[in-house]
Amino acid sequence: LQGTKNRRRKWDIGKLIYMDNVSPSTCIKRWRGVEDDDENDENADDEEEDFFSKKDGAITNKSEADDDLEKFKPHFETFKNLMSKWSNFDSIKSRLVGTSRPTSTNK
Amino acid sequence: MSTPRFATFQGCRNFRLLIVLATLSGKPIRVEKIRSDDLNPGLRDHEVSFLRLMEAMTNGSSIEISYTGTTVIYRPGIITGGSYTHQCPPGKPVGYYVEPMLYLAPFSKKKFSVIFRGVTASHQDAGLEAIKWGLMPIMEKFGVRECALHTLKRGSPPLGGGEVHLVVDSLIAQPITMHALESPQISSIRGVAYSTRVSPSMVNRMIDGARKVLKNVGCEVDITADVWRGDNSGKSPGWGITLVAESKKGWRYFSEGIGDAGDVPEDIGALIAYELLEEISKSAVVGRSQLALAIVFMVIGKEDIGRLRITKSQIDEKFIWLLRYIKQIFGTEVFLKPVDDADSDDLIATIKGVGFTNTNKKIA
Repeated sequence: LQGTKNRRRKWDIGKLIYMDNVSPSTCIKRWRGVEDDDENDENADDEEEDFFSKKDGAITNKSEADDDLEKFKPHFETFKNLMSKWSNFDSIKSRLVGTSRPTSTNK
Repeated sequence: MSTPRFATFQGCRNFRLLIVLATLSGKPIRVEKIRSDDLNPGLRDHEVSFLRLMEAMTNGSSIEISYTGTTVIYRPGIITGGSYTHQCPPGKPVGYYVEPMLYLAPFSKKKFSVIFRGVTASHQDAGLEAIKWGLMPIMEKFGVRECALHTLKRGSPPLGGGEVHLVVDSLIAQPITMHALESPQISSIRGVAYSTRVSPSMVNRMIDGARKVLKNVGCEVDITADVWRGDNSGKSPGWGITLVAESKKGWRYFSEGIGDAGDVPEDIGALIAYELLEEISKSAVVGRSQLALAIVFMVIGKEDIGRLRITKSQIDEKFIWLLRYIKQIFGTEVFLKPVDDADSDDLIATIKGVGFTNTNKKIA
């Protein structure tokens, strides 16, 4: 059982993107290494099953708006999460001009 | 019917993008199974309206829609542009129609001068400032300098009554090859808070909320109030805010939102400010909502390698769908390679342009 975990491949996103038999959501999951209990060990043959189930599944499972991709606004977390995340600007400090000035601006 | 010359797609996903890509590449496409499992199958009003707009802005396009509306065959003609007025159905705001036009307008035979009438704001689609300050600067980077979106009237949902004028005066042969390898530094944050048919205090309260969040950000924050009154403010009350972080070199990141009845203006202001910070943290050179435009312009560029830095978090489902559709229509793949910098997970998207030239213009 341990073996199966170690066998998990590190996916190359460049290739994964153009593997048409893998649905984009699965691509992202694999690439990020998110554990997906159902398809832990059966990578190769699962792809095809995935392919078949996804097509009908995508329409029924997800709300239409999700699948639509016509949405312009990107996805954001909820207000609460964002608020706690951005209580200070440390993580984007390098991106802001003038933050080399007194660091006290963060307090 | 089933001639393999069509690139075939399934579902209504990214419908506008498909039509736009088909028009740019000149390849006919067939979109099947559009909401075929839905209780109300087929194309929606706004999609049909978009197809009408495409018909008006091109010459020689043929659009066949099946009886049920679940299959569309689109054979693109040439992009002609010109003057036109488009009445947008109330389901989608004008941004929904303006956005795809930006992909086509620079490669048209005549200059684009299109008036869009309808709702000017929504939760999901591009707002006016997002287009003006978010998407048009991207076009500028690719050599489309003279484009503007004039707000003649604002119209909040649900009733709308707004009017905007899209003018694209630069007609270029092909987009400039992009080399953007460094994440730009943000030098200032600007914004606008607007309202139609509500008390101007709402606008100021939104600004207060946003300012509070951005107080310690370390660069200049300038949010203007834009209150619309009288005939030019449409038929419904509404209010919203757009924030834009800009770098000295002209790259922008933005976030936008509108308030509903019952929302607290301070909260909306703060939320959008937090979203702006989040967007900055997730973006390298362009924001997520600008990425598609940048990638498409890179794909139709000169036969030369263009490079654009992106972050890991910009690779999402939407991005993958985009790249797959581009491959299916243009046959071009995007190569991703990690940046040299060890501190960063960013990637460089490398794209060889397809050598598209604006044939529409030459004919004129």
